Amino acid sequence: MAQPLIKKDDDRDDEAEYSPFLGIEKGAVLQEARVFNDPQLDPRRCSQVITKLLYLLNQGETFTKIEATEVFFAVTKLFQSKDTGLRRMVYLMIKELSPSADEVIIVTSSLMKDMNSKTDMYRANAIRVLCRITDGTLLTQIERYLKQAIVDKNPVVASAALVSGIHLLQTNPEIVKRWSNEVQEAVQSRAALVQFHALALLHQIRQNDRLAVSKLVSNLTRGTVRSPLAQCLLIRYISQVIRESGSTQTGDRPFYDYLEGCLRHKAEMVIFEAARAITELSGVTSRELTPAITVLQLFLSSSKPVLRFAAVRTLNKVAMTHPMAVTNCNIDMESLISDQNRSIATLAITTLLKTGNESSVDRLMKQITNFMSDIADEFKIVVVEAIRSLCLKFPLKYRSLMNFLSNILREEGGFEYKKAIVDSIVILIRDIPDAKESGLLHLCEFIEDCEFTYLSTQILHFLGVEGPKTSDPSKYIRYIYNRVILENATVRASAVSTLAKFGAMVDSLKPRIFTLLRRCLFDSDDEVRDRATLYLEMLGGDGEIVETQKDVKEFLFGSLDVPLSNLETSLKNYEPSEEPFDINSVPKEVKSQPLAEKKAPNKKPTGLGAPATEPSSGIDAYEKLLSSIPEFSSFGKLFKSSAPVELTEAETEYAVNVVKHIFDGHVVFQYNCTNTIPEQLLENVTVIVDPSEAEEFAEVASRPLRSLPYDSPGQTFVAFQKPEGVPAVGKFSNILRFIVKEVDPSTGEAEEDGVEDEYQLEDLEIVAADYMLKVGVSNFRNAWETMGPDFEKVDEYGLGPRESLVEAVNAVINLLGMQPCEGTEVVPSNSRSHTCLLSGVFIGNVKVLVRLQFGLDSNREVAMKLAVRSADEAVSDTIHEIVASG
Amino acid sequence: MGIWEAFLNWLRSLFFKQEMELSLIGLQNAGKTSLVNVVATGGYSEDMIPTVGFNMKKVTKGNVTIKLWDLGGQPRFRSMWERYCRAVSAIVYVVDAADRDNISISRSELHDLLSKPSLSGIPLLVLGNKIDKPGALLKEDLMDQMDLKSITDREVCCFMISCKNSTNIDAVIDWLVKHSKSKS
Repeated sequence: MAQPLIKKDDDRDDEAEYSPFLGIEKGAVLQEARVFNDPQLDPRRCSQVITKLLYLLNQGETFTKIEATEVFFAVTKLFQSKDTGLRRMVYLMIKELSPSADEVIIVTSSLMKDMNSKTDMYRANAIRVLCRITDGTLLTQIERYLKQAIVDKNPVVASAALVSGIHLLQTNPEIVKRWSNEVQEAVQSRAALVQFHALALLHQIRQNDRLAVSKLVSNLTRGTVRSPLAQCLLIRYISQVIRESGSTQTGDRPFYDYLEGCLRHKAEMVIFEAARAITELSGVTSRELTPAITVLQLFLSSSKPVLRFAAVRTLNKVAMTHPMAVTNCNIDMESLISDQNRSIATLAITTLLKTGNESSVDRLMKQITNFMSDIADEFKIVVVEAIRSLCLKFPLKYRSLMNFLSNILREEGGFEYKKAIVDSIVILIRDIPDAKESGLLHLCEFIEDCEFTYLSTQILHFLGVEGPKTSDPSKYIRYIYNRVILENATVRASAVSTLAKFGAMVDSLKPRIFTLLRRCLFDSDDEVRDRATLYLEMLGGDGEIVETQKDVKEFLFGSLDVPLSNLETSLKNYEPSEEPFDINSVPKEVKSQPLAEKKAPNKKPTGLGAPATEPSSGIDAYEKLLSSIPEFSSFGKLFKSSAPVELTEAETEYAVNVVKHIFDGHVVFQYNCTNTIPEQLLENVTVIVDPSEAEEFAEVASRPLRSLPYDSPGQTFVAFQKPEGVPAVGKFSNILRFIVKEVDPSTGEAEEDGVEDEYQLEDLEIVAADYMLKVGVSNFRNAWETMGPDFEKVDEYGLGPRESLVEAVNAVINLLGMQPCEGTEVVPSNSRSHTCLLSGVFIGNVKVLVRLQFGLDSNREVAMKLAVRSADEAVSDTIHEIVASG
Repeated sequence: MGIWEAFLNWLRSLFFKQEMELSLIGLQNAGKTSLVNVVATGGYSEDMIPTVGFNMKKVTKGNVTIKLWDLGGQPRFRSMWERYCRAVSAIVYVVDAADRDNISISRSELHDLLSKPSLSGIPLLVLGNKIDKPGALLKEDLMDQMDLKSITDREVCCFMISCKNSTNIDAVIDWLVKHSKSKS
C-alpha cells in the first residue's frame, strides 16, 4: 500500500506538480459561478466550478448567508442539464452547502423525480440528498420509494437508502422502524456493501431491545454473512451480546465457537476482529485465548504494517491481564523492536516488558537502550512507565532498571519525559527499600544539572522526607546546599526547607545545618530569608542543641488539611485586628469541580503529584457576613450555606431569593431583595415568616433592612432555633413587609410619608439535603472498607420511568446533596446500569458514604439499590428516609 | 465560449432551433403543472400532487426548444419565484379563473413580483385557467380584477384556457413561439 504513495511523492519532487486548486480565491470562484445562469450551459465548465466551490468549502472557507443562497439557487438551475457528471456534482453541492430549511425545500420536487429516474446513479444520490434535507411530513410521502430502494437490485441504490435510514433513525425513528422487513431482506443481499449497511441499520433499529439483538446475531451466525465488513460488524455485535449476557454462565460461552471459526476466515479483517473479540471477553480463559493468540502471532510477521500494528497493539492489551498467554510471541515481538514503524516498535517493547521473565530483563534492557535514542519523547514515556511496572514486578532486578532510568535521566529530554522518569524513580524508592539509597543519589545528581524548577523543588521536598531516614544523611547536604548557592529563588527556598527537615530529624547534623541556614539569612530573596529565619527560630538555632519538639515536626512534615484556595480566600477576607487568624475557621468543604477539569485519575500514585487546586467557594463570604451580625455571632460555626433559591417569579416588582444558612442549633434565612421599580423606595423591609408547617423551628431573631432603593440589592435576615444536631425539615411561608415611599423620578428624592404594604413570596422548604455537606474522598473503596459494615443499611427502590439513566442519577445526587466521588456521576451514554459513589458529611459531623446502583429495564423503568455506611445508625436511616420520601 | 461554439450557435439559430426559457408561476392549484403536461405531452390528469419546489421540463415545439421552470405555488415558495424569473424570455402567470375568492391574493402576488427591478421589461402572459368550470370569470373580468391595465412597462397578454379540455392551448403555444423569435 505504501509503495505507490512514496513513488508519487518522488514524481512530485521531479516535476514540481501543484494542485490545480492552489491559491484559488473565493471571490473569483463566486464570479465564475455565474456560468450556472448561462442560457447555453457548459456542463464541463460548471462541473469544474462546483469542484472549486467544494474545494473551498472543504478547506474551511465559509460562505456568507447571501453568498450561499446565491450559489445554491444558481446550482438548482443546473437541474436542466441532462449531463450525469454535472448532476452528480449538483447533488454534492446541495449536500455541502446545506442551506436553510426554507430554501432547500425548493429542490424537493426535482429530487423526487430523480429518485424514480431510470438512471441508477441519479436514484442513489437523490435518495441521499433528499433524506438529508427532508423533514418528518415529507418523509412519509417518500417512504414508499425508500422502502423500494432498500430492496433495489442495484447495490448502490440499496446502500444509499440504507445509509439514509441510519441517518434518519436519529430524527424519525418511528418511520425507519417500519422498514424492518425490507432491511431484513437486504441483509441477505449478495452485494457486500448492501449487506454491511443493512446489518448496521437493522442493529440500530433493534439496539434498545436486548432480546431482539441476541436473536438477530444468533440467526446470522447460522446463516451466511458473505461481506467481510458485515462479518466484522457481526463480531462486534456478538461481543456486545456476550458482554451483556453477563458472566454468570459457567461452562461453554455462547458464540465462542462462532468467533473461533472466524479465525479461519479468508479476510484478514475478520480474523483480526474475531481475535480481538476473543481477547476482550470478560474472564477469558487461556484455553479460549490460545487460538486467537496464534493468529495474532502470524500477523506479527506479516508484510503489512497495519496488521503488525493491530496485532501487537492487541497483544499489548492482552499482556496486561494474561502475560503468560503472550509469551509464545516474544520471539516475534523481539524482531519488531527494529521495525521501521516506531509505534509498532514501542508497542512491541512495552509488551515484552510486561511478559518478560526475570532472566530476560537484562537482555531486554540492552535492546531498549539502543532503541531509546531514536524514538520521540511520548514513546519514551510509555517505555519508562512499562519499566516502572516491570521493576515493581521483579524487585530483585531494581539495580539494572534503576541504572537504566538514571542513564536516560542524564540524556536530553523534555519536561514530561523527565517528569515520568523522576516519578518512576520516586515510586521505586518508596516501594523497594533496597533501592532507596541509590535512587536518592541519582535524584541528587539529577538536580545538580536540572533545568526544570518544578522538578527540582519536588525532588528537594522528597529528599527532605526520605533523606534523613537513610543510613548516612550527611552525604545529601552538599547537593542541597549547592542549590542554595546556584539556583533561582524558588529552588533556593525549597532547599532551605529541605535543610530544615534534615535539621529537625537528625540531631547530629543540627550544628552544621544551623550554620548553613544562618548563611541563608543574607539571601537576596525575601522568601528564602523568611524561611531561614522561621526554621532557625523553630529549631532553636540560638546555640543550644535541643530535642526537636513534636509540634515542630508536625509543622515541618504535616500536610495542610484545608483546600488551598479556601485558605487563600479566608486570608484575603481576614482584616488585621487584635484577634489572630485562626486556621480552623477555614472551611474544608470542597466545591465540586467543573467537569472539564476532571481528567482521568492516574491509576498509579504519581509520587510527586501536586495537590489538586480547588476553585474557591462563596461560603467564606457568607461566613464573614453572618459573623459580622451580632445577633448571629453566638450560633457557632456555619455548617453549610445553600445555593440561592428564588422566591419570586422573574420580572416581578420585587425580586427576592433566599440563602439557607445551617448552624448546629440554628437556621438563618438570608433574603436577598432587589427593588425593580424606579419610582419607589422601600424602607424597613422585613420578611414575616410563618413556620406553622415547620414545628421544630422557633423564630429567635430578625434583622430588617433599613432601606431598599431602586436596583441596589439588600439583605434581611430571619433566624430560627431548632433542636441541636437534628436534621429537622419543614416548610415556611413568607411575606415581604415594607414601607413604600414614592420617589420623584426627576429629582430622585423620596416623599416624606410612606404606606405600609405587603408582598406575598413563595414558600421555602428546609430539606434533608440542606444538612449534608459535600465532602469528597479520594479513595472511595478504602473509605468504604474503613467505615465498616456496622451501620450499613441497604434497600432497593423503584424510581419509575425516566428519560435516561443520567437524569435518574442526577436526581438522586441532587436529592441527597452529596459529593460524587471518582467521577462516578458521569454516566456513559447508552449504558443500562451504573454505579455511583457519593460521600458527604451530615450535620453533627457524621461522615456518610453512599453506594448507588442503578439499572434500566426495557420499559425505561429505573431501579436503584442504595447502600449507606456511616458512623451513626440514625444517620444511615435518615439517608434512606430522604430517598424514600424524595 | 469558444469561437467555434459561437459559430455553431449562430448556425443553429439560422437553420435549426430557437431556445426560450419560461417561468410558470401562480398560486397553488392554479394548474401550472397540468399546463406543463398538456403542453409537453397533451395528457391531462385530475389527480395531481402539489409541486414541492420546482419541476424543470424541456419541450420542443416546431423549431423552438422551450425550457419550462414550473414553480410551486404554496406561500413558502413565493419569495423564491423571483430567482427563477430573472432573464427568462417570458413570465407565464397562471390564475384559477374559477376560484374567485383568491383572485385578489393572486393579483397582489403578481404585482409584488413585477415590481422587482430584476424583472423589468420581461413580457408577461396571464392565463385564466379552468374555464371549463361553471362560474369561471370572463377574460375582461379577469383582466380587470388582476389589474393588468396598470402594467405598462412591458408587454402583457392574457388568454383564457382550459387544460382539461385543451382549450386555447394552441394559441398559448403560438404566442410563446412568436416571442422566442423576437427575443433571441
